[in-house]
Amino acid sequence: MALWAAPDAPAVLGDEARREALRAMLLAWADDELILGHRHSEWTGFAPDIESDVALSSIAQDELGHARLLYEQAAGAGQTPDRLAFGRPPEAFRNATLVERENGDWAVTIVRAWLYDCADAVRLAVLAASPLGSFAALARTLEREEKYHRLFSDVWLDRLARAGDDSRGRVQDALDALWDEALALFEAPPGEEALVAAGALAAGAAEQAVRWVSAVEPRLGALGLRVPPGRGVRSGGRSGRHTPALAALLDEMTSVSRSDPEARW
Amino acid sequence: MNLAEITPGAEGVFAVFRQETKNDPHVHVGDVHAPDAEMALVLAKEQFARRDPCVNLWVVRYADIAATSYRDADMLEPSTDKSYRFGGSYREQQRVYRRR
Repeated sequence: MALWAAPDAPAVLGDEARREALRAMLLAWADDELILGHRHSEWTGFAPDIESDVALSSIAQDELGHARLLYEQAAGAGQTPDRLAFGRPPEAFRNATLVERENGDWAVTIVRAWLYDCADAVRLAVLAASPLGSFAALARTLEREEKYHRLFSDVWLDRLARAGDDSRGRVQDALDALWDEALALFEAPPGEEALVAAGALAAGAAEQAVRWVSAVEPRLGALGLRVPPGRGVRSGGRSGRHTPALAALLDEMTSVSRSDPEARW
Repeated sequence: MNLAEITPGAEGVFAVFRQETKNDPHVHVGDVHAPDAEMALVLAKEQFARRDPCVNLWVVRYADIAATSYRDADMLEPSTDKSYRFGGSYREQQRVYRRR
Protein backbone atom coordinates (compact mmCIF):
# COMPACT_ATOMS: atom_id res chain seq x y z
CA MET A 1 0.00 0.00 0.00
CA ALA A 2 1.31 3.40 -0.83
CA LEU A 3 1.98 5.43 2.24
CA TRP A 4 0.07 8.18 0.45
CA ALA A 5 -3.11 6.37 1.31
CA ALA A 6 -2.48 6.83 5.03
CA PRO A 7 -5.27 8.71 6.79
CA ASP A 8 -3.03 11.64 7.65
CA ALA A 9 -1.73 12.14 4.10
CA PRO A 10 -4.46 14.32 2.51
CA ALA A 11 -3.98 17.15 4.98
CA VAL A 12 -0.36 17.82 4.03
CA LEU A 13 -0.32 16.39 0.52
CA GLY A 14 -3.60 17.79 -0.61
CA ASP A 15 -2.72 18.72 -4.15
CA GLU A 16 -1.20 16.74 -6.98
CA ALA A 17 1.81 19.08 -7.34
CA ARG A 18 2.92 18.28 -3.80
CA ARG A 19 2.45 14.55 -4.33
CA GLU A 20 4.54 14.82 -7.47
CA ALA A 21 7.26 16.69 -5.58
CA LEU A 22 7.38 14.06 -2.85
CA ARG A 23 7.49 11.32 -5.47
CA ALA A 24 10.44 13.05 -7.18
CA MET A 25 12.27 13.36 -3.88
CA LEU A 26 11.78 9.68 -3.05
CA LEU A 27 12.82 8.62 -6.56
CA ALA A 28 16.10 10.53 -6.30
CA TRP A 29 16.74 8.99 -2.89
CA ALA A 30 15.93 5.49 -4.14
CA ASP A 31 18.28 6.00 -7.09
CA ASP A 32 21.08 7.03 -4.70
CA GLU A 33 20.58 3.86 -2.66
CA LEU A 34 20.37 1.56 -5.68
CA ILE A 35 23.44 2.90 -7.42
CA LEU A 36 25.60 3.10 -4.31
CA GLY A 37 24.40 -0.36 -3.30
CA HIS A 38 25.50 -1.67 -6.67
CA ARG A 39 28.90 0.00 -6.35
CA HIS A 40 29.36 -1.54 -2.88
CA SER A 41 28.42 -4.95 -4.27
CA GLU A 42 31.30 -4.70 -6.74
CA TRP A 43 33.65 -5.19 -3.77
CA THR A 44 32.25 -8.65 -3.04
CA GLY A 45 35.24 -10.95 -3.23
CA PHE A 46 37.75 -8.11 -3.46
CA ALA A 47 37.65 -6.17 -0.18
CA PRO A 48 40.88 -5.91 1.86
CA ASP A 49 39.83 -8.58 4.37
CA ILE A 50 37.16 -11.25 4.46
CA GLU A 51 35.29 -9.64 7.35
CA SER A 52 34.96 -6.27 5.59
CA ASP A 53 34.05 -8.10 2.39
CA VAL A 54 31.09 -9.75 4.11
CA ALA A 55 30.13 -6.55 5.93
CA LEU A 56 30.19 -4.33 2.84
CA SER A 57 28.30 -6.95 0.84
CA SER A 58 25.62 -6.94 3.54
CA ILE A 59 25.51 -3.16 3.43
CA ALA A 60 25.05 -3.39 -0.35
CA GLN A 61 22.06 -5.68 0.18
CA ASP A 62 20.66 -3.26 2.77
CA GLU A 63 20.89 -0.38 0.30
CA LEU A 64 19.12 -2.38 -2.43
CA GLY A 65 16.39 -3.18 0.09
CA HIS A 66 16.05 0.49 0.96
CA ALA A 67 15.90 1.35 -2.73
CA ARG A 68 13.02 -1.11 -3.16
CA LEU A 69 11.06 0.38 -0.25
CA LEU A 70 11.56 3.89 -1.62
CA TYR A 71 10.73 2.88 -5.22
CA GLU A 72 7.47 1.36 -3.99
CA GLN A 73 6.52 4.80 -2.71
CA ALA A 74 7.91 6.72 -5.68
CA ALA A 75 6.24 4.53 -8.30
CA GLY A 76 3.54 6.18 -10.35
CA ALA A 77 0.69 4.42 -12.11
CA GLY A 78 1.90 1.36 -14.00
CA GLN A 79 5.41 1.50 -12.54
CA THR A 80 7.05 -1.15 -10.38
CA PRO A 81 10.28 -1.07 -8.37
CA ASP A 82 11.86 -3.56 -10.78
CA ARG A 83 11.03 -1.52 -13.86
CA LEU A 84 12.20 1.67 -12.17
CA ALA A 85 15.49 0.01 -11.29
CA PHE A 86 16.13 -1.94 -14.49
CA GLY A 87 14.02 -0.25 -17.14
CA ARG A 88 15.21 3.33 -17.33
CA PRO A 89 17.94 4.97 -19.40
CA PRO A 90 20.73 6.84 -17.54
CA GLU A 91 19.18 10.27 -18.12
CA ALA A 92 16.04 9.18 -16.25
CA PHE A 93 18.05 8.49 -13.09
CA ARG A 94 18.09 11.19 -10.42
CA ASN A 95 20.93 9.92 -8.21
CA ALA A 96 23.71 12.31 -7.30
CA THR A 97 26.83 11.74 -9.42
CA LEU A 98 28.75 10.98 -6.18
CA VAL A 99 27.31 7.48 -5.98
CA GLU A 100 27.84 6.51 -9.63
CA ARG A 101 31.61 7.11 -9.64
CA GLU A 102 33.74 4.04 -10.01
CA ASN A 103 34.92 2.57 -6.72
CA GLY A 104 38.59 3.50 -7.00
CA ASP A 105 40.68 2.27 -4.09
CA TRP A 106 39.42 1.33 -0.64
CA ALA A 107 40.00 4.88 0.66
CA VAL A 108 37.73 6.33 -2.04
CA THR A 109 35.09 3.72 -1.25
CA ILE A 110 35.21 4.39 2.48
CA VAL A 111 35.28 8.19 2.16
CA ARG A 112 32.35 8.11 -0.25
CA ALA A 113 30.40 5.71 1.96
CA TRP A 114 31.05 7.91 4.99
CA LEU A 115 30.10 11.18 3.28
CA TYR A 116 26.98 9.53 1.91
CA ASP A 117 26.01 7.82 5.17
CA CYS A 118 26.28 11.14 7.02
CA ALA A 119 24.05 12.76 4.40
CA ASP A 120 21.58 9.91 4.64
CA ALA A 121 21.39 10.41 8.40
CA VAL A 122 20.40 14.06 7.88
CA ARG A 123 17.82 13.10 5.26
CA LEU A 124 16.36 10.34 7.44
CA ALA A 125 16.08 12.65 10.43
CA VAL A 126 14.10 15.10 8.31
CA LEU A 127 11.77 12.35 7.09
CA ALA A 128 11.43 10.97 10.62
CA ALA A 129 10.21 14.41 11.71
CA SER A 130 7.56 14.43 9.00
CA PRO A 131 3.98 15.04 10.15
CA LEU A 132 3.10 12.17 7.82
CA GLY A 133 3.21 9.35 10.31
CA SER A 134 3.61 6.63 7.69
CA PHE A 135 6.70 8.29 6.20
CA ALA A 136 8.18 8.92 9.62
CA ALA A 137 7.77 5.20 10.34
CA LEU A 138 9.53 4.31 7.08
CA ALA A 139 12.42 6.57 8.08
CA ARG A 140 12.75 4.84 11.45
CA THR A 141 12.81 1.45 9.72
CA LEU A 142 15.61 2.50 7.37
CA GLU A 143 17.53 4.15 10.20
CA ARG A 144 18.07 0.83 11.99
CA GLU A 145 20.35 -0.40 9.21
CA GLU A 146 21.79 3.00 8.36
CA LYS A 147 23.08 3.30 11.93
CA TYR A 148 25.31 0.31 11.25
CA HIS A 149 26.40 1.67 7.87
CA ARG A 150 27.64 4.80 9.64
CA LEU A 151 29.47 2.73 12.24
CA PHE A 152 31.21 0.69 9.56
CA SER A 153 32.30 3.62 7.41
CA ASP A 154 33.30 5.67 10.43
CA VAL A 155 35.57 3.07 12.06
CA TRP A 156 37.21 2.48 8.69
CA LEU A 157 37.61 6.20 8.01
CA ASP A 158 39.15 6.60 11.46
CA ARG A 159 41.63 3.72 10.98
CA LEU A 160 42.63 4.82 7.48
CA ALA A 161 43.11 8.44 8.55
CA ARG A 162 45.36 7.41 11.43
CA ALA A 163 47.24 4.57 9.76
CA GLY A 164 50.21 6.40 8.24
CA ASP A 165 51.22 8.85 5.55
CA ASP A 166 50.25 6.76 2.53
CA SER A 167 46.89 5.83 3.98
CA ARG A 168 46.12 9.35 5.24
CA GLY A 169 47.18 10.80 1.88
CA ARG A 170 44.75 8.54 0.04
CA VAL A 171 41.94 9.53 2.39
CA GLN A 172 42.68 13.22 1.90
CA ASP A 173 42.88 12.78 -1.88
CA ALA A 174 39.53 10.99 -1.88
CA LEU A 175 38.00 13.73 0.25
CA ASP A 176 39.31 16.44 -2.08
CA ALA A 177 38.00 14.58 -5.11
CA LEU A 178 34.56 13.79 -3.70
CA TRP A 179 33.66 16.83 -1.61
CA ASP A 180 31.83 18.87 -4.25
CA GLU A 181 29.90 15.88 -5.51
CA ALA A 182 28.94 15.05 -1.93
CA LEU A 183 27.57 18.57 -1.48
CA ALA A 184 25.57 18.00 -4.66
CA LEU A 185 23.61 15.32 -2.79
CA PHE A 186 21.71 18.36 -1.52
CA GLU A 187 20.48 19.72 -4.80
CA ALA A 188 16.83 20.47 -4.20
CA PRO A 189 14.41 18.20 -6.08
CA PRO A 190 11.80 20.00 -8.20
CA GLY A 191 8.87 21.33 -6.22
CA GLU A 192 10.56 20.90 -2.88
CA GLU A 193 9.69 24.40 -1.66
CA ALA A 194 6.00 23.55 -1.87
CA LEU A 195 6.56 20.53 0.39
CA VAL A 196 8.44 22.64 2.93
CA ALA A 197 5.80 25.37 2.80
CA ALA A 198 3.05 22.81 3.38
CA GLY A 199 4.94 21.41 6.37
CA ALA A 200 5.34 17.97 4.75
CA LEU A 201 9.10 18.32 4.94
CA ALA A 202 10.74 19.66 8.09
CA ALA A 203 13.78 21.05 6.24
CA GLY A 204 14.65 21.60 2.59
CA ALA A 205 17.83 20.54 0.85
CA ALA A 206 19.69 23.80 1.57
CA GLU A 207 19.06 23.46 5.29
CA GLN A 208 19.98 19.76 5.12
CA ALA A 209 23.31 20.68 3.53
CA VAL A 210 24.05 23.04 6.41
CA ARG A 211 23.28 20.27 8.91
CA TRP A 212 25.48 17.83 6.99
CA VAL A 213 28.45 20.20 6.89
CA SER A 214 28.14 20.93 10.59
CA ALA A 215 28.15 17.18 11.27
CA VAL A 216 31.05 16.13 9.03
CA GLU A 217 33.44 19.05 9.50
CA PRO A 218 34.22 18.51 13.20
CA ARG A 219 34.75 14.78 12.67
CA LEU A 220 37.14 15.34 9.75
CA GLY A 221 38.97 17.97 11.78
CA ALA A 222 39.33 15.60 14.71
CA LEU A 223 40.91 13.07 12.37
CA GLY A 224 43.40 15.68 11.18
CA LEU A 225 41.87 15.83 7.71
CA ARG A 226 41.56 19.04 5.74
CA VAL A 227 38.05 20.01 4.77
CA PRO A 228 38.22 20.98 1.09
CA PRO A 229 37.10 24.48 0.18
CA GLY A 230 33.62 24.38 -1.34
CA ARG A 231 34.06 25.17 -5.01
CA GLY A 232 30.37 25.51 -5.54
CA VAL A 233 27.93 22.67 -5.93
CA ARG A 234 28.62 20.53 -8.97
CA SER A 235 25.12 19.88 -10.11
CA GLY A 236 23.78 17.44 -12.61
CA GLY A 237 22.69 14.12 -11.19
CA ARG A 238 19.42 15.35 -9.75
CA SER A 239 18.37 16.65 -13.15
CA GLY A 240 19.53 13.60 -15.08
CA ARG A 241 22.96 14.77 -16.22
CA HIS A 242 25.32 11.96 -15.42
CA THR A 243 28.89 10.86 -16.04
CA PRO A 244 29.66 7.98 -18.44
CA ALA A 245 30.22 5.82 -15.36
CA LEU A 246 26.47 5.55 -14.79
CA ALA A 247 25.75 4.29 -18.30
CA ALA A 248 28.44 1.63 -17.90
CA LEU A 249 27.08 0.63 -14.50
CA LEU A 250 23.50 0.35 -15.76
CA ASP A 251 24.62 -1.59 -18.81
CA GLU A 252 26.10 -4.24 -16.55
CA MET A 253 23.43 -4.11 -13.86
CA THR A 254 20.55 -4.55 -16.31
CA SER A 255 22.14 -7.17 -18.58
CA VAL A 256 20.16 -10.08 -17.10
CA SER A 257 16.95 -8.13 -16.85
CA ARG A 258 17.22 -6.99 -20.49
CA SER A 259 17.62 -10.57 -21.69
CA ASP A 260 13.96 -11.11 -20.76
CA PRO A 261 12.24 -8.01 -19.39
CA GLU A 262 8.96 -9.88 -18.82
CA ALA A 263 10.49 -12.73 -16.82
CA ARG A 264 9.02 -13.35 -13.38
CA TRP A 265 11.54 -14.04 -10.61
CA MET B 1 51.46 -28.64 32.62
CA ASN B 2 51.37 -25.80 30.15
CA LEU B 3 48.69 -23.43 31.26
CA ALA B 4 47.94 -20.03 29.75
CA GLU B 5 50.07 -20.37 26.63
CA ILE B 6 49.36 -17.61 24.14
CA THR B 7 48.86 -18.80 20.60
CA PRO B 8 51.49 -17.11 18.42
CA GLY B 9 49.97 -14.63 15.96
CA ALA B 10 46.76 -14.34 17.93
CA GLU B 11 47.18 -10.63 18.64
CA GLY B 12 44.93 -9.61 15.74
CA VAL B 13 42.29 -12.27 16.23
CA PHE B 14 39.21 -11.82 18.38
CA ALA B 15 36.84 -14.49 19.63
CA VAL B 16 33.21 -13.47 19.12
CA PHE B 17 30.45 -14.31 21.58
CA ARG B 18 26.81 -13.88 20.62
CA GLN B 19 23.86 -13.58 23.00
CA GLU B 20 20.46 -14.54 21.57
CA THR B 21 18.26 -12.98 24.22
CA LYS B 22 19.02 -11.04 27.37
CA ASN B 23 18.48 -14.23 29.39
CA ASP B 24 20.90 -16.37 27.38
CA PRO B 25 24.60 -16.85 27.98
CA HIS B 26 27.03 -15.38 25.45
CA VAL B 27 28.13 -18.23 23.21
CA HIS B 28 31.37 -18.41 21.24
CA VAL B 29 30.31 -18.41 17.58
CA GLY B 30 33.57 -17.73 15.73
CA ASP B 31 36.43 -15.32 15.23
CA VAL B 32 37.24 -12.11 13.38
CA HIS B 33 40.51 -10.51 12.36
CA ALA B 34 40.67 -6.89 13.49
CA PRO B 35 43.28 -4.37 14.65
CA ASP B 36 41.32 -3.43 17.78
CA ALA B 37 38.20 -4.29 19.77
CA GLU B 38 35.97 -1.57 18.31
CA MET B 39 36.66 -2.69 14.76
CA ALA B 40 36.22 -6.30 15.85
CA LEU B 41 32.73 -5.52 17.16
CA VAL B 42 31.74 -3.69 13.98
CA LEU B 43 32.94 -6.57 11.82
CA ALA B 44 31.50 -9.25 14.12
CA LYS B 45 28.01 -7.80 13.72
CA GLU B 46 27.79 -8.73 10.04
CA GLN B 47 29.67 -12.03 10.36
CA PHE B 48 27.68 -13.47 13.26
CA ALA B 49 24.53 -11.46 13.90
CA ARG B 50 22.98 -11.31 10.46
CA ARG B 51 21.41 -14.78 10.33
CA ASP B 52 20.51 -15.54 13.93
CA PRO B 53 18.83 -13.55 16.67
CA CYS B 54 21.22 -11.39 18.64
CA VAL B 55 20.88 -8.74 21.32
CA ASN B 56 24.51 -8.39 22.36
CA LEU B 57 28.01 -9.21 21.16
CA TRP B 58 31.28 -9.65 23.00
CA VAL B 59 34.71 -9.75 21.45
CA VAL B 60 37.77 -10.97 23.31
CA ARG B 61 41.30 -10.80 22.01
CA TYR B 62 42.74 -14.32 21.89
CA ALA B 63 45.88 -13.02 23.53
CA ASP B 64 43.74 -12.19 26.56
CA ILE B 65 42.31 -15.69 26.91
CA ALA B 66 44.08 -18.05 29.29
CA ALA B 67 43.47 -21.65 28.30
CA THR B 68 44.37 -25.16 29.30
CA SER B 69 46.51 -27.14 26.90
CA TYR B 70 45.13 -29.94 24.76
CA ARG B 71 48.22 -31.89 25.80
CA ASP B 72 46.80 -31.95 29.30
CA ALA B 73 43.28 -32.82 28.23
CA ASP B 74 43.54 -36.16 30.01
CA MET B 75 43.33 -34.40 33.35
CA LEU B 76 39.78 -33.45 32.40
CA GLU B 77 38.84 -37.13 32.05
CA PRO B 78 37.81 -38.87 35.28
CA SER B 79 39.79 -41.99 36.22
CA THR B 80 36.79 -43.83 37.61
CA ASP B 81 33.12 -43.89 36.69
CA LYS B 82 31.68 -40.57 37.86
CA SER B 83 28.43 -40.71 35.92
CA TYR B 84 26.64 -40.06 39.22
CA ARG B 85 27.91 -36.51 38.90
CA PHE B 86 26.27 -35.89 35.54
CA GLY B 87 23.38 -33.55 36.08
CA GLY B 88 21.83 -33.99 32.65
CA SER B 89 18.49 -35.20 33.90
CA TYR B 90 18.03 -32.47 36.47
CA ARG B 91 15.38 -30.15 35.09
CA GLU B 92 16.13 -27.49 37.65
CA GLN B 93 19.73 -27.24 36.45
CA GLN B 94 18.59 -26.82 32.84
CA ARG B 95 16.14 -24.17 33.91
CA VAL B 96 18.88 -22.24 35.69
CA TYR B 97 21.30 -22.53 32.78
CA ARG B 98 18.77 -21.56 30.18
CA ARG B 99 16.09 -19.27 31.52
CA ARG B 100 13.46 -18.48 28.92
